[in-house]
Amino acid sequence: MSADAALIAAERVSQVYAGRDGTPNWALRDVSLRIGRGEFVCLIGPSGCGKTTLLHLIAGFVRPTSGTVSFAGAPITGPGPERVVVFQDYALFAWMTARQNVEFGLRTRGVPRAERRRQALRALERVGLPHAADRYPHELSGGMRQRVAVARALVVEPEVLLMDEPFAAVDAMTRQTLQEDLLRLWQETGVSVVFVTHNVDEAAFLAQRVVVMGAHPGTLRTDLAIDAPHPRERGSARFAELYAEIAGALAGHHGRRAA
Amino acid sequence: MSLVSSETTDHRASRSAPAPADSFEATFRAAHRRRLRRAAGWRIALNIAGLVLFVIAWELIPRYSTWINEVLFPPPSQVFATFVPLLLSGQILDDIRVSLVRAASGFGVALGLGIGAGVLTARLAWLQYLLEPLLHGFRSIPAIALIPLCILWFGIGEVSKTALIAWGAFFPLWITTFIGVRDVNPIYLRSAACLGAGRLTTLFLVVLPAALPFILTGIRQALSVSLVVLVAAEMSGASSGIAHMMSEGHQLFRVDIMFIGLAVLGAVGFLVDRAFVAIARRLFPWYQITS
Repeated sequence: MSADAALIAAERVSQVYAGRDGTPNWALRDVSLRIGRGEFVCLIGPSGCGKTTLLHLIAGFVRPTSGTVSFAGAPITGPGPERVVVFQDYALFAWMTARQNVEFGLRTRGVPRAERRRQALRALERVGLPHAADRYPHELSGGMRQRVAVARALVVEPEVLLMDEPFAAVDAMTRQTLQEDLLRLWQETGVSVVFVTHNVDEAAFLAQRVVVMGAHPGTLRTDLAIDAPHPRERGSARFAELYAEIAGALAGHHGRRAA
Repeated sequence: MSLVSSETTDHRASRSAPAPADSFEATFRAAHRRRLRRAAGWRIALNIAGLVLFVIAWELIPRYSTWINEVLFPPPSQVFATFVPLLLSGQILDDIRVSLVRAASGFGVALGLGIGAGVLTARLAWLQYLLEPLLHGFRSIPAIALIPLCILWFGIGEVSKTALIAWGAFFPLWITTFIGVRDVNPIYLRSAACLGAGRLTTLFLVVLPAALPFILTGIRQALSVSLVVLVAAEMSGASSGIAHMMSEGHQLFRVDIMFIGLAVLGAVGFLVDRAFVAIARRLFPWYQITS
């Protein structure tokens, strides 16, 4: 895609953490990446490849040691509701019901109570949980919690959804349903999605583009465009090809370097 | 026993299969309710039996043993006989009220200051580093050690008692709030920041609720400290209150009056703790307090 269309642009970003004895630890080294409006991008790689670090940089939780990360042309200086993160688990406020959790982002911008409630219930309906509105997170299953987390993120109408292995802690069957629902929501809302995973099947099922990362130091290895249309049939030969392509890139057989 | 009987009815229900599922579920539910009720009743019965056994032993041992002096260890019947006129004249209720007001005012002051100091020192590193040597130093001084000084400064009036109780209750509240706020899961803070929450929204809607389990522990500790300091303060200089009644009993060589004081203190401490658990359950339904 062209440079000016990029919603998120990371330019030669490095992120160095101090180890316990002070040795520099390169979580990311010289990473450049552009993500366009409305794109669905998966970041995939082994642990230690810096995929979560990259997500946190885009979220604005941390500042890069060197290089710049910008959003819609402006450098990112901190977290904001145009870039909402969905975490793996335990991110719902335990002291709020599902509805109150979803209302939180509206409350911070002073939406009146009745309007807040209406929008929250609509968001819960969209993720298929209108009946769970008054339950607390500990009364919900792992899959339901993640649906509420997605509803809580979408209700503030972000431009990008940053998802950090959001379905890693749920069982395989629930995960497939959640993936299908996420695709539906992505198509309905036109939101961009940056989705961190270590699961090849998940990337092959979801992404328009798979960014394969390597570890120690964290770098971009390959940038695969997946041109198969959604929904993808897991049993199909095309899906098996996609799977093999991503798995091959992960294993390092793929020669193509990221731009 | 209840288990066995409900199981046999279940078997019968499942054997005579044509019975509609509704009636099976209804009997199952009724049996379950009965089981819960029976377990709860059994527990209460044993609770009461424990108390009764204690009172009986206390009544019999001073009477029938040769080595216990009844003047020094009066049996419950005698204590009760002293208690009734005190209760009817309203004197003991006055003492309880005075003591409770003292404990509550000292605790209230500590609640505000302790939680405030805990939040501020946990959120502002420079303030933590500035205050930690002082706070930890002062924390090591038992409130009881300050009683003489407090009486010199504030006299034996209400101010010195409130100050002493506040001092004693402040530290558990500060420490637990500090730990609770410091250890708030960063994912909560990051979620709040993503969703556009400012400092105050984050404090009241995220940080304080997330730290609540710790703060509630601190409140519970502070409540019991308040009662301890209350007693010490009243014994060393007061003209009313439960502990003052007890020191009068001491001077008059009336062990029965001292026993009444102990029983009242025990009952008040117990009821305050129960009330705390009930209120916490009511206010924070998502947070389970088991005991």
